[in-house]
Amino acid sequence: MRRYVLRRTVQIIFVLWALITIMFFLFRLVPGDPVAMIISAELTESAREALREDWGLNRPLGQQYFLYVKNLLIGDFGLSFYHQEPVWEVLGEKVVNTLALMIPATVIGIVLGVLGGMYLGWWRGSRLERIGVMLPPLIRAMPVFWLGVLLLMVFSYKFGLFPNGGMRSIGTFPKGWADTFFSTDFLWHLTLPLVCTVITSVPEPMLIMRSSILETRGEEYIELLQAKGVREHVVLKHAARNSMLPVVTWVFHMFGYAIAGTVLVEVVFAWPGLGRELITAVNNHDYPVSQAAFFLISVIILGLNFMNDMVYGLLDPRVVLNE
Amino acid sequence: MKYLSVEYKQSEPSPERALDPAGIHAEKSRLFRGIREIAQTLWGDAFGRAGICILLLFLIVAIVSPHIGPDDSWQHHYTPENQLARLEPASGRHWFGTTYYGQDVFTQTVRGTRVAFAVGVITAVLIVIIGTNIGLIAGYFGGRVDDFLMRITDIAYAIPFLPFMIVVVSLVGPRLETIILSMSLLFWRTEARVVRSQVLSLRERPYILAARASGAGHLRLLYIHLLPNVLPIAFLYLVFGVAWAVLTEASLSFIGLGDPNQVSWGLMLFHAFNSGSMRDAWWWVAPPGLALMIFLLACYFMGRAYEERINPRLQQSS
Repeated sequence: MRRYVLRRTVQIIFVLWALITIMFFLFRLVPGDPVAMIISAELTESAREALREDWGLNRPLGQQYFLYVKNLLIGDFGLSFYHQEPVWEVLGEKVVNTLALMIPATVIGIVLGVLGGMYLGWWRGSRLERIGVMLPPLIRAMPVFWLGVLLLMVFSYKFGLFPNGGMRSIGTFPKGWADTFFSTDFLWHLTLPLVCTVITSVPEPMLIMRSSILETRGEEYIELLQAKGVREHVVLKHAARNSMLPVVTWVFHMFGYAIAGTVLVEVVFAWPGLGRELITAVNNHDYPVSQAAFFLISVIILGLNFMNDMVYGLLDPRVVLNE
Repeated sequence: MKYLSVEYKQSEPSPERALDPAGIHAEKSRLFRGIREIAQTLWGDAFGRAGICILLLFLIVAIVSPHIGPDDSWQHHYTPENQLARLEPASGRHWFGTTYYGQDVFTQTVRGTRVAFAVGVITAVLIVIIGTNIGLIAGYFGGRVDDFLMRITDIAYAIPFLPFMIVVVSLVGPRLETIILSMSLLFWRTEARVVRSQVLSLRERPYILAARASGAGHLRLLYIHLLPNVLPIAFLYLVFGVAWAVLTEASLSFIGLGDPNQVSWGLMLFHAFNSGSMRDAWWWVAPPGLALMIFLLACYFMGRAYEERINPRLQQSS
């Protein structure tokens, strides 16, 4: 196990390094000189000089690269052109907002998906199952943003049940953390983007659970339970518990997909999160912010994949042995 | 697995082979047989057949549409009273109604098919070429080559796809070529892994060992003996690649980072969303979205039909 952990750690450090290197060159693709990319023209001369020093922009490329890596690793993303504030001030709360939407949505999506997959797998051949198996491909084929627009059209514009975007009503100024995320106003705004994300995150766990339970159903201990005359829902409980492993090993990947796909949902519902900020920054040519937003999204996903590997290794010793 | 065992039998020496020492004809026909078998598999499955029919329909629309009339998808239409025909519901004049800018929704939807096909097919072909080659080479040579290529694949996996596309397009400019190229830069990753693991098991098979013993070179082993056997997988990723690419292009366009000069379904939705017209103009929102959905569904149907064929576990369980 120790060797496995070590190997994965080395791998993730390597990938992180590669990511930063790619970003270093990518953000130099921008037309014009790299100084203009990091340093806004609207800053005062002394502030510019300080930034230039900070990013080492008047030094050779090798040192620039070294400083770039260092700055990203310690989380110093520079100043936003647009907001004229340190990037962290801009992005910090956006990260929290994104997580406040994505974590509950993915959790609910996984729970619903697992229950649905359980049903489809166990009652195979029933009429409901035949309709149910059509659901995952249908949802997958539906573009997230279109689904979001449809939800808005029906529930916000047509029936006026939910707000058409944002995270809180205009004019409310929540005090503190609990007031922001546990008020009815927040939950009211959360509903539509949450429903949209839940719907799109259901198919994956559903399909995995379905094929897993189909496999378990044929096992001898399940047949034994049935032969003993154990009631069906008790048998199903046993089968479900033993079919959970493939889902569990996918949980972190699902969070990763949700974070990477958060952009579209946030744009449709004007949710002030990381993805929407990435778009705003891109449209404003606010490179420090877009660079930091991209880096944060990547790092969150890398971290999730790493945790996934660890959990996988703990739950399924064969993985560790195969290394 | 049935498919693979069929292939295995074919590779045993045959009289045909003895007459043709280079084996070129035999191998060529093997490749064609592979392709024919793919088509047969698809046609034999109800979902696969539905997928083929839908995609063919889209293809006909894409090819025929420019020859029917002049391209007026950007044209602003006016009412008889000489007012801009803004947000008109469906009528005989405008089958699907008009947009906020007085453009015809039907024409734009039909035109969008072309971009979808161009993006989908070109990207998918690029993905398959890159992915298959990386998988073949990594699996075949093993060792350091394998390590190197698989580390690159790890990196490609670590990059979040849509954010990457957003950043690249914003830096390089929203042109269709850029979008297609940068998509292919990352999307090969899944296929490379799958092809590699397939090759790892194939390269120890007797027919490959026999070919090697009789002096076949690397290139010959790779592209004449191994390639036909990973063709089914390559085809599967071709189909999925089309779907991913079309969806990604639509997403980018919806965000406002698509090519503004090409009428695509994503761009239509972008305009519908950002002009605030979706409040009542459902006829502007529904056609491009439905077209996208049906297109993607057709791809998934074909993929599904094929997946069951090459993955025996799925076959038994569904």
